[in-house]
Amino acid sequence: MSAGVDAAGDEAATSDAAGGDGGDDGDPMTADPTTADPMTERTPLRRSETARWDGIAGVALALVGIGVVARQPGLVLTGAVGVGYAVYARIGEAREATVEIERTVSDDGPEPGDEVVVTVRARNVGDAPLPDLRLVDGVPPGLAVVDGPARIATALRPGATAAFEYTVRASRGEHEWEPTRAITRDAAGSRERTTALATPTRIVCTPELSAGGDLPLRGLTTIYHGRVPTDVGGAGVEFHATREYRRGDPVKRIDWNRRARTGELATLELREERAATVVLLIDARESAYAASRPDADTAVEASVEAAGQAFTALLDGGDRVGIAALGPRDCWLAPGAGTAHAARGRETLATDPALAPTPSEGQFYQSLWLRRFRRRLPADAQVLFFTPLLDDYAASLARRIDAHGHLVTVLSPDATAGGTPGTRLVAFERRERLRELRAAGIRAVEWSDRSFPVAVARATGRWSR
Amino acid sequence: MVAVSRGATTGDREPPDAPEDRERDARPPTSAVVASLVAGAVAALSAFLAAPTGGALVGLAAAGLLAGSLRRSPRVLSWAAGVGVAGIALAGYLRGAVEPLLAAGVALALAWDLADHGIALGEQVGREARTRRNVAVHAGTNLLAGGLSVAVVYGVYLAAAGSQPVAALALLLFGAVALASALR
Repeated sequence: MSAGVDAAGDEAATSDAAGGDGGDDGDPMTADPTTADPMTERTPLRRSETARWDGIAGVALALVGIGVVARQPGLVLTGAVGVGYAVYARIGEAREATVEIERTVSDDGPEPGDEVVVTVRARNVGDAPLPDLRLVDGVPPGLAVVDGPARIATALRPGATAAFEYTVRASRGEHEWEPTRAITRDAAGSRERTTALATPTRIVCTPELSAGGDLPLRGLTTIYHGRVPTDVGGAGVEFHATREYRRGDPVKRIDWNRRARTGELATLELREERAATVVLLIDARESAYAASRPDADTAVEASVEAAGQAFTALLDGGDRVGIAALGPRDCWLAPGAGTAHAARGRETLATDPALAPTPSEGQFYQSLWLRRFRRRLPADAQVLFFTPLLDDYAASLARRIDAHGHLVTVLSPDATAGGTPGTRLVAFERRERLRELRAAGIRAVEWSDRSFPVAVARATGRWSR
Repeated sequence: MVAVSRGATTGDREPPDAPEDRERDARPPTSAVVASLVAGAVAALSAFLAAPTGGALVGLAAAGLLAGSLRRSPRVLSWAAGVGVAGIALAGYLRGAVEPLLAAGVALALAWDLADHGIALGEQVGREARTRRNVAVHAGTNLLAGGLSVAVVYGVYLAAAGSQPVAALALLLFGAVALASALR
């Protein structure tokens, strides 16, 4: 009889306890009318027994048994209390987390590196109290939490609100919050239920593209005038060659010194300067998401930043620039020019999912990718290939594209800093790849902590046309 | 050089420097550990009042609960609780008084419950998250369950057991258990 009474009493008591001691975070709040409150979508995920009270009934009955044998009422009574706990563990049900999540961010369009304060309010919209509620917010994988865990454990009576705050550091890209995971337990903690609470929140972080220095291109050009010096004689500023005078040549281009010396008429040829079509190819395979330290930017991040500088510099120089990603997700911005194209390029580099700060899901098929890339690549396009060169495929791809007639320049951020033997081995392999690429006649620039334009300026001194 | 990968599975025993876990300290919250320790001390003291030998065992159990909390091992907690039950059984066998035994039982159950709850909280939300309210509500419901059980059992004892043999008390209890099972 006693146990039955206990059961009913406990159930009521649980409600009181969960609702009764309204503490620091228990004030019911009404949603701010200015922020439109998106409905939280609930998805039940999993329910399970935690088995933490297993064996309590056995222990209780053992105590009772010993008490009876030893004729000690104290033990019998303690055992009886143990039976009470066994009943306590069996009653009650882990309820679904009837919680409405409201998430506000301090800035939904931050600059990279800005700290964004995220405030989460969870309100129990159900009729029953939640005596044990744990919330784990679905922080986007590309954002790092820098202050305060994005988690809370609390108890909510109906209508009560719990709020918590944490700070994330914004990184380039479009970040969508994943569903909050809510774990509820019954009062005794013997049953558990997980619920996903989806509340759409997103921040878009679009960095300004800083213009890099002059980026020397290789001699594959279009027929349009630009600023890439070519080996074609014609109009220009730099001396290229002399040739025999032909009727109709402009008088200004006649080599009068030679005429004075030898009496022959000769015409000066100047190096023609033309525009190029360039495709910035960024290695975004999973292997390229490597960083020198756990909290450092990945090589993809460095590549995208450098590609942004190159994009601006080339576009300013009158070249046509496109963007492609080497990775499981498709990303292609056809070469173009103009203000609208510049905006599109900035958008692509900042938020394209193929260039996200964390690796894309999906399988990467090398031959399929290469076939599609070659089909899209204009015949007169040259390729600036941004890759950390951490595997042989990147190096062989550069050689293959080069062999197909699209001159390739490899720009390689160095992610191999560090002193462990493994790191040194990877660094050595990477240096070998760079050496082989240079031996094969492909230009290569590498940079680590120094800024990209400095590395390009240093390398330019070595290069001949 | 560190590879950042999305597909990393989150196992139970992650190395503390795993990228996913950099912001999280998976140790149990301080409030749960401290409350468990206090309850363990109360249990040891009560058992000591009943019978010093049993009290020493329960004290050992309280230390074991603390060790289990610090090592985040529910298995250690179970062993410690088992030692504590043995201590109470010993204290009862050595003709300990009824009241301290009941108090020791409830306090031991609370101590183990809070320590185990703390480990689960640490795994799921971490040490730095706000958990005090959750722990307080959990401790409150546990105490309430224990208190109600004691009230009923002790009330029956006072009312009926004065003249009855112990076996009658056990039979009464057995009847209650049978009734509870039938009602479920």
